[in-house]
Amino acid sequence: MDKIAPEQARTALDAADRARRQVAEEVGLPRGYWWAMAAGWVLLGVLGNVLPPWPAGVATVGFGVGHGVFASRLLDGRRRTDRLRVSTAVAGHRIPLVVVGMLLGLIGVTVLVALALDADGAGHAGIWAAVLTATVVGFGGPEMLRVLRRWARA
Amino acid sequence: MTKARFDELIHPSTRLSLVATLAAADWAEFAFLKDRLQLSDSALSKQLTTLEEAGYVATERRLSGSRRKVRARLTSAGRDAFNGHIEALRAIVADAAAPTREPPA
Repeated sequence: MDKIAPEQARTALDAADRARRQVAEEVGLPRGYWWAMAAGWVLLGVLGNVLPPWPAGVATVGFGVGHGVFASRLLDGRRRTDRLRVSTAVAGHRIPLVVVGMLLGLIGVTVLVALALDADGAGHAGIWAAVLTATVVGFGGPEMLRVLRRWARA
Repeated sequence: MTKARFDELIHPSTRLSLVATLAAADWAEFAFLKDRLQLSDSALSKQLTTLEEAGYVATERRLSGSRRKVRARLTSAGRDAFNGHIEALRAIVADAAAPTREPPA
């Protein structure tokens, strides 16, 4: 077995580890997911502003269910690109929790921003808060997920 | 536990990086592998053919729109060989790091 020197073995292990880390960098959600989420966010903001509370609540629940149905396959983080499928062992099992946690956090941010804008006397505070969050999600969703993954070691 | 087995076929650096990349994925497209490993079409084809002939890699040609794309994946034999090779490399490093025993006086 000792056909190579320990230094060469260490170099080979480093190369294999580097290749694995490059694949791990591909974990995430497709860009289209983040823009669809941003569009949904704005739509819910508008509906929440123009509809009475109960239909707006139904729309919100419907959005959540729709997200669960259509995006559940994406949430494992293995399908960010159509150029490769990351293995389960590399992607881990915590990506869906991180994504859902991130979305719940952003809902909280939207509510707080809407309350602040409303207190400041802004008209259509819910819509402006949704537009702000949607912009953050659309442009910065992948980066936010990357940072949260690092924090959560997922 | 995977049995350590040094694999001469996998060990060359380009092939090791290729197999390690495939080991971390269910499959990867030819274009992705070419970009990541910075290989020419012919060099990557040659490496994939060598691994395919050994039964370590399987390739599949798919039609995507008007373009034909090639996907490669590690077979279970390839995965076992890679895991065994990594264990062998770790064993070499561990043996070198272990304190040498003094011969009895």
